[in-house]
Amino acid sequence: MIDAIFAHLPILLIVMPLVAAPCCVLTGNGRAAYALALVVSLLTFACSITLLEETLVHGVVRYELGDWSPPYGIEYRVDIFSGFVMSFVSGIGAIVLVYAPLSVRDEISESKHYLFYATYLLCMTGLLGMCVTGDLFNVFVFLEISSLSSYALISLGRTRRAPLAAFQYLILGSIGATFILIGIGLLYQMTGTLNMGDIAARVPHEHGPRTVLVAFAFLTVGLCVKMAVFPLHTWLPNAYTYAPSVVTCFIAATATKVSVYAFVRIIFEIITPGFAFDVLPLDTELMLFSLVGIFIASIAAIYQDNVKRLLAYSSVAQIGYMLLGISMATPTGLSAGIVHMFNHALIKGGLFMVAGCFALRLGSVQLSDWKGAGRTMPLTSLAWAIGGLGLIGVPLTAGFISKWLLLTSAFEAGRWPVAALMLLSSLLAVVYIWRVVETLFFAEPSEAAANATEAPLRMLIPTYVLIGATLVFGVWTSYSAGIARQAAIALLGGTP
Amino acid sequence: MNLIVFALLALLAITAVAIAQLRELWAVIMFTGIYSFLSASWMIILDAPDVAFTEAAVGAGISTVLMLSTMALTGKAEDIPRKSSVVPLFVVIVTGATLVYGTLDMPHFGSPDAPVQVYPDPSFVERSEADMHGLPNVVTALLASYRGYDTLGETTVVLTAGIAVLLILRKNEDEQDDTAPLARNKSS
Amino acid sequence: MTLESVAGLYNYWVVIFLMMTGFYIVLARKNLIKSVIGLNIFQTSVFLLYITMGKVEGGTAPIVPPAIAAAQAHAAHGSDAGHAATPHVEGAHEVAHAALQHGGELASTTTEIIYSNPLPSVLMLTAIVVGIATTALALALVVRIREDYGTVDEERILELDRGE
Repeated sequence: MIDAIFAHLPILLIVMPLVAAPCCVLTGNGRAAYALALVVSLLTFACSITLLEETLVHGVVRYELGDWSPPYGIEYRVDIFSGFVMSFVSGIGAIVLVYAPLSVRDEISESKHYLFYATYLLCMTGLLGMCVTGDLFNVFVFLEISSLSSYALISLGRTRRAPLAAFQYLILGSIGATFILIGIGLLYQMTGTLNMGDIAARVPHEHGPRTVLVAFAFLTVGLCVKMAVFPLHTWLPNAYTYAPSVVTCFIAATATKVSVYAFVRIIFEIITPGFAFDVLPLDTELMLFSLVGIFIASIAAIYQDNVKRLLAYSSVAQIGYMLLGISMATPTGLSAGIVHMFNHALIKGGLFMVAGCFALRLGSVQLSDWKGAGRTMPLTSLAWAIGGLGLIGVPLTAGFISKWLLLTSAFEAGRWPVAALMLLSSLLAVVYIWRVVETLFFAEPSEAAANATEAPLRMLIPTYVLIGATLVFGVWTSYSAGIARQAAIALLGGTP
Repeated sequence: MNLIVFALLALLAITAVAIAQLRELWAVIMFTGIYSFLSASWMIILDAPDVAFTEAAVGAGISTVLMLSTMALTGKAEDIPRKSSVVPLFVVIVTGATLVYGTLDMPHFGSPDAPVQVYPDPSFVERSEADMHGLPNVVTALLASYRGYDTLGETTVVLTAGIAVLLILRKNEDEQDDTAPLARNKSS
Repeated sequence: MTLESVAGLYNYWVVIFLMMTGFYIVLARKNLIKSVIGLNIFQTSVFLLYITMGKVEGGTAPIVPPAIAAAQAHAAHGSDAGHAATPHVEGAHEVAHAALQHGGELASTTTEIIYSNPLPSVLMLTAIVVGIATTALALALVVRIREDYGTVDEERILELDRGE
């Protein structure tokens, strides 16, 4: 019995939230839907952890859907990298759900709760599906599931700007998805198959490189929209700012990371680093765009008065660090990029949770309304400070691990200017984090802040789980950087 | 046959340009329906009757209805203002040029030794004859069995859209004055 | 650039022109509904791109004539079970016999008819549904935006947002 379930883990992971979503709708009741969503997300997390264990011990897990072997059928394929991404996506999905109910009650009207949780589960299904599948077209289908549900979630914000932000994201996101569809089509045309491993084996690098090149360009541009890489990030600040707090926590922590995951898969497994970095100058281009993005977005973050918008710009900058690591294409660089996906998910998830706590108690995420809140809400404010240290990359926090690996790989490759620019950019993070810390602890309390009470434990505990995790993974790295390194080596074609 | 194809392609191009140029929303929606219908016709010639059928039903049918009802809900259609658009034109030309560049190494249209036609071997048509116990329509076999999970995904997309539309259009029962949170969340 | 390659590729170029027209409509958006329409045109044209890929010269739709299909199913069964099956379909007698004689080599009977590739059709059936789902969601958002702002003109909405 246990064995039978074990054999079907890759599909259970997708089917559980997928089936639970319509069940949530059928309950028609916010509380029941919440309970179901919570249980399912915890189960999904357990499944992903088990799968990750499995891949660490036994290597790649393959699952042929309907028993049709590829290239005829769709294959699910879980390796260390996808297991790692899946684990933190489902883990953060579960923690955000634990955190959610009070904030959701405050920001979304009662009659919509059950639909909200159903959509949340669908979004999770889409994101996990993108990680688990080994079929390129299936990636597109799951991408659309996650995108459509996130447009709906974002539109739920209280202000009238929320639907507008969702619409702008929808237009840009659909353009991105259509570009991805064109890219998939061109690759299919040159290889006759949709299975990623199969495409990699059959993609003609000598004959017909022009079509492959264009296919790759379209996939890259499409995914860059989804990853919010500068200058295609324009949808992100509005979407993150006007979405309900819970939605921002979840989407900021997971959605862009999964797109980065898909991008890494495509570069390293289908296009192969040899073609992408030696034939095409992709590494220099990526590095250029990520560095420019890091600086412009960090500087933009400094000038924001809305804390959620500040964090959103910081997310654009952080994506730059991930791509910077990936563009190095060395084991250290790539593992830095991968581990930063994880670390940044923890840090940003935690910080947006803090913003959600303040939004609940102060009714605002404007910096001016947070003045002096450090006195009445010390624990929440402390969480911001710790998370902020992680974002800057201070030693003993998770952020330090990824920055350290990035620096090491820059030195290894002899790219001193890149290392120097990275350190400089961390100073910008110090500025925007410090602005908030200063407002919280050293400003005269605003009226709202003086009357505020500490955030409820129901929200504080999950916040501290994520913020605490950034400290834990800043010291104990075998399950973050260790796994990332194994994944990176496997992606680069070696044996871990 | 060739004449029909040329005529269809020309009509498609004309319709698309007309949609881009027209300023009256009602006409634009009608032309969109026509565009879908013309695409469906070409799909028939390209040996894809299933897709043609779906495109005619969904593209020319449902989406036209959806757009018309949206137009009805959003009230009297204002004429779309004309403005110069150099940047979009530039982006589009660059993208299009990239795509044309990409076609240069493509297998020619209808070529029997294109990778798509020779791989996998045996082809889906041959496989399905043995696997599907005499099911005539191979597209059905693929849709429901070989790639059944894509179809499940597609159904999920429809479910997502359904729930999403409910979420978006349902009135907040505690609809309070929208200005209060607006004033608070106003960005710089 | 030979005449031959022009003849072989012009279909794709027309499709690219169509895609780019759709893309242009989205980018040059002045009206929210019109940008949704642009997205629609863009996606429909991508469907055409896929379908063009699947077409093969002299091919036909990937639907096996029912008579042949039934006969072949029988033949497959027959050779599996080790006894000759009697085809039920009258018109298929000839073909069925041929199939039986070839035993397991079913491929040889199908080479007479060339079928276009069914896979692009299947992918596009999925993509059409995804497209309509996106359209529906986008239009719902448009309705909502119109309720809140009183217009579907992008410029005016942005002005309203700046003005407050």
